[in-house]
Amino acid sequence: MTPGPSQPSVAVVAAGLRKSYDGRVALDGIDFVVEPGICFGFLGPNGAGKTTTMKMIYGLASIDGGELAVLGMDATRERRRIKQRLGVVPQETNLDGELTVRENLLVHASYFGIDPAVAGRRAEELLAFSVLDERGDDRVWALSGGMKRRLLVARALINEPDVVVLDEPTTGLDPQARLAVWRALDRLKRRGVTLLLTTHYMEEAARLCDRLVIMDHGRIVTEGEPGALVLEHVGREVLELQLAEGCDADALLAALDGRLDGHELAEESLMLYTSDAEELLAEIDQRSFPHESALVRRATLEDVFLRLTGRSLRE
Amino acid sequence: MSAMSERSYAGLGPRMPLRDLIFSPRHAAAVWRRNAQVFSKIWKGALLPQFVDPLFYLVALGFGLGTYVARVNGVAYEDFIAPGLIASAAMWSASFETTYNVYLRMNESRLYDAVLATPVEVQDLVAGDLAWSASRATVYGTSFLLIVTAFGLISSPWAILIPAFVLLGGLCFSVIGYTFTSLIPKIDLYSYFFTLGITPMFLFSGIFFPFERLPGWVEVVAWFMPLYHLVEITRGMATGPDGLEVLAHAAWLAIVSLVLFYVPVRALRSRLVA
Repeated sequence: MTPGPSQPSVAVVAAGLRKSYDGRVALDGIDFVVEPGICFGFLGPNGAGKTTTMKMIYGLASIDGGELAVLGMDATRERRRIKQRLGVVPQETNLDGELTVRENLLVHASYFGIDPAVAGRRAEELLAFSVLDERGDDRVWALSGGMKRRLLVARALINEPDVVVLDEPTTGLDPQARLAVWRALDRLKRRGVTLLLTTHYMEEAARLCDRLVIMDHGRIVTEGEPGALVLEHVGREVLELQLAEGCDADALLAALDGRLDGHELAEESLMLYTSDAEELLAEIDQRSFPHESALVRRATLEDVFLRLTGRSLRE
Repeated sequence: MSAMSERSYAGLGPRMPLRDLIFSPRHAAAVWRRNAQVFSKIWKGALLPQFVDPLFYLVALGFGLGTYVARVNGVAYEDFIAPGLIASAAMWSASFETTYNVYLRMNESRLYDAVLATPVEVQDLVAGDLAWSASRATVYGTSFLLIVTAFGLISSPWAILIPAFVLLGGLCFSVIGYTFTSLIPKIDLYSYFFTLGITPMFLFSGIFFPFERLPGWVEVVAWFMPLYHLVEITRGMATGPDGLEVLAHAAWLAIVSLVLFYVPVRALRSRLVA
């Protein structure tokens, strides 16, 4: 799985990618470049266009406009050759319910034209890799949600792919199961496999992704390394204030002018982005602005996400 | 959200170039093998009901009613209906496989999404499924052929060729069922397919009575039904065929299969690769 000599210098290149469904725009011209061997994240609210982008990469959505190249091949014209070198973990669990766990891997291998003896060897490795070695002969429906997800990851690796597409791989998993999937993805990254990941969990993106884009309404809102994005859009720390009745938020903001990297006010709750939240809180208390609670914490990707895509519900 | 609109019913979908019908035999074979592997686990349970079904018709109508009917076109009634029941066994098998079974794989387990994310393309998937359904129909038809042979109801050595024609007829029924499946938005519509399509075809394709003494338009109508052509072939083979006639019927089945293949490929492409 180490990058061979044929490995192109970029894993995925998208330029001006567009797509609409029945007149509703799903992708409104997006550009991105994924270097090989990294984990590249796609974040965004529901309907932002993440899944559409993933499906274009693995050939289950047609491309209305723009260019998409995967491993140096055109995504429309060379779909079959691209898919030969991709692994896909879809958002929906679509295992073959009529087959056992092991057979799921073997049959999937047959779609890639992998020699049965080789497939058998890889299936055993992958069962061990995903800690399913005891369950090889079980029917799929007997597995827990976490096991099914691990089997989906294992299935995506049966062809030793150069690029693995993961569409919300840990949605609905308990913390232990999520950790197990994360460990599996860490191991893949160490082997030099390129990972493309969509997720709703910001800590997951921060932990796994080397680079990411935040999408909204079919566009890319920002792109960068997770840590750099936090610094750029939010700053180092956050002071979350629950303002007491009668507190003049405008006066408070005016008083702190120049010491904030930004702020957000939603009803009585005020988020203040700054480099030293403790010091800011001391200042607010000294000037006796009344508040019901105050929380000092580090800024996270979640703050970036909410700042850029807003706090209102999407669906 | 986007996932909803992608999986919604797409109808026939946009025009598709004919070259998109060219399937890869290697990838279609992988789909065929998957289906055969699943069948190999359940064949005992699956074979029995569809196997006993034509047997009941043979016993009730052939040996029961046949006692009173005596002879049709100079042959005993059970001899008359037995070859037709081989054809209908294949039709029922192919129709169930390409309706409920395909529908569940496509829309319930979402298995086709997984398959199409591999190097398998839509036309390979459809070709593999159709080849499998035709094979399964041949298993059913041939099993029933063996039974009626054991009953002594087959009088011509040409009957040994029946499985090959059942394969062709099974393919034709499979394409028809698959076409229906690819175009319907919900599973309830199969009751129309079976009640208005398959069951009348079973009753009025010349299995149970010949058309000779009926008005001419009956045979004209029958000519549009694939089962009629397969029944004519199996009966011909079981009693001693008229070579040219058999080839004409076979050509009908082959042409319909070939032409209709376009529809499910196009409809599934727009449904699954939106």
